[in-house]
Amino acid sequence: MQKLQGIGVSPGVAIGEALVMDTEGFRIPRRFVARDAVDDELERLNRAVAAACEEITHHRDAVSKELGEKYSAIFDAHLQMLQDSRLQSELEDMIRLRHYSPEYAVSRVLRRYAGIVQNLESRYLAERANDIFDIEKRLLRHLLGRRREGIAHLTSPVLVLAHNLTPSEAANLDSRFVRGFVTEVGGPGSHTAIVAEALGIPAVVGTGPFLTEVSGGDQVIIDGDEGLVILQPDEETLARYFHEVEEAHTQAVKLESLRDLPTETADGVRVELFGNIEFPYEVDHCVDRRADGVGLYRTEFLYLGADSEPTEDEHFQAYSRVVRAMGDLPVTIRTFDMGADKVRHLPAPEDEHNPFLGLRSIRLALRNLTMFRTQLRAILRSSALGNVRVMFPLVSTVMELRQAKMVLADMMEDLDENGIPFNRDLPVGMMVEVPSAVIMIDHFVEEVDFLSIGTNDLVQYTLAVDRSNKDVVSLYNPADPAVLRLIKMAVDAARRRSLPINCCGQMSGMPHYAMLLLGLGLRQLSVSPGALPEIKKVIRSVRMEQCDAVARRVLSMENARDIKSYVKEELKRAVPRMA
Amino acid sequence: MQTSATRNVVVNNPQGLHIRAATAIAKTVRQFASKVELVSNDHRVDGTDVWQILSMGAHAGTELALEASGPDAHEALAALARLFSENFGEE
Repeated sequence: MQKLQGIGVSPGVAIGEALVMDTEGFRIPRRFVARDAVDDELERLNRAVAAACEEITHHRDAVSKELGEKYSAIFDAHLQMLQDSRLQSELEDMIRLRHYSPEYAVSRVLRRYAGIVQNLESRYLAERANDIFDIEKRLLRHLLGRRREGIAHLTSPVLVLAHNLTPSEAANLDSRFVRGFVTEVGGPGSHTAIVAEALGIPAVVGTGPFLTEVSGGDQVIIDGDEGLVILQPDEETLARYFHEVEEAHTQAVKLESLRDLPTETADGVRVELFGNIEFPYEVDHCVDRRADGVGLYRTEFLYLGADSEPTEDEHFQAYSRVVRAMGDLPVTIRTFDMGADKVRHLPAPEDEHNPFLGLRSIRLALRNLTMFRTQLRAILRSSALGNVRVMFPLVSTVMELRQAKMVLADMMEDLDENGIPFNRDLPVGMMVEVPSAVIMIDHFVEEVDFLSIGTNDLVQYTLAVDRSNKDVVSLYNPADPAVLRLIKMAVDAARRRSLPINCCGQMSGMPHYAMLLLGLGLRQLSVSPGALPEIKKVIRSVRMEQCDAVARRVLSMENARDIKSYVKEELKRAVPRMA
Repeated sequence: MQTSATRNVVVNNPQGLHIRAATAIAKTVRQFASKVELVSNDHRVDGTDVWQILSMGAHAGTELALEASGPDAHEALAALARLFSENFGEE
């Protein structure tokens, strides 16, 4: 048994078989071979080794001829390692004595060596273990031939373990079979986190290197609540986690019964509870759970991993699917919220040393008007189909907001001229996620129809913390009093003008913050679809006066840790089964 | 004539005994008739075996004893010591 501590980015517990992805995004299989197949399998291994050696020799000679012997030395090293009798006998033993498949034996043995090399190098950040992975990959390629398995074709439930998941890999996973994610790198804002939340499955990121120690098929526990990954758990641990999974299931069934009841506090204060979505199909989860609308429709997925800019029609198809599914209920579409580095068809930004402070979101939109206009046109067109609102991200100055609104007005005129229908009174809102927006909130409220607090970025920018940096992530805390004061300022300003204000960060989906947020004056919360039942349960269990008392107390406190443990205590008292 | 010889060396290259270094050692040892072993603490490995050398996990600063026995034991150790002192031809 081995425990790894990472960052839990999507809650829940999953127990299952590991699917280990190699650096090229293919899975490494585990297959035991039948006793009587051992000789054939050994033969298959030998053929693969011979083929790999031939290939390397060929490379070596070509490189040596072209660039000189110095450059071909590494191929020579690979060749020697492959032909090494010790490696061969180690592999053969695994197949003959333990009945491992050659693929499994290869990745097991080579990953062990890679682990040793990585340990060496972690001290010096020198050359990585890539050479050994290279040899592994080469052998696997020869062993598997065309049977090499992509991750798009799964047939049984798995927990995906990878170094990192690219957006397109994450999107290509067959969600029916993926029960959890672990990635060696990444932080709470990583794509893995968003996809896992969207799928409602546990995920842990930023564990550091460990893939060398697992192989496909190993039993793994992912504890998304604690940010723990347990490899090859012992009986006792397994039993404890099975129990937890069962409890969670019972709880989920109970929460299901709240579905058709209104979201209101025990003393009858109505709260609007929306869903946050990214992929259009997630709207179905919102409908199923009777969300009051889509509070945040992220549109980055249209751009990420795409080779060319999405067309207006691609935007429109995605939006109309969501808008139609929600009927009369509001759908808040947020214009693209990403850095230029994430968009392949844009030139790489030059001075982007600090992407979170760089050319991203609304700034990027205002610098790439063609791209922005395409999106706005599609949003406007979809506004004819239902209750659409548009929202601009990362607004930091009033001028930016005005510019964005001007581009929108332009597009309206454009559609008008072409006789294309849209909602002339389309509500326009902005994310409140940069401290400057809160400081200037009295000006912003004059300019918009609604506000939405994005706690993730607000925390990051207020506390100056990159939450994907494990050395400072402990400072990242939505319960920090500085953040809470900003939230309060924004809510107060909005309420003075009877402007709707929503809170759509990950904080909203955490049950222990629900009472506090209501007490701060919020009457709209937007959470990942998976969190809808839980948050509804909390809201229905508490009285407004309790929430007010919690908020009053919290606003007098001075550090995040005390606040967090206080709100957790309060939740436990108010909704004992929840905490 | 069978002789045996021992020599202490220190791994100086910053990356430790990684792939290329291990391969260079094994290659050198194979040029001699003597049996050569590398010893670090109580970890003893065959000098012709890349994977065993690698699995020692010897990082920069590790002290190793080279033990050779055979007709050209001294020559083998001299060649190896040179390899170590030249940091396996790395920068």
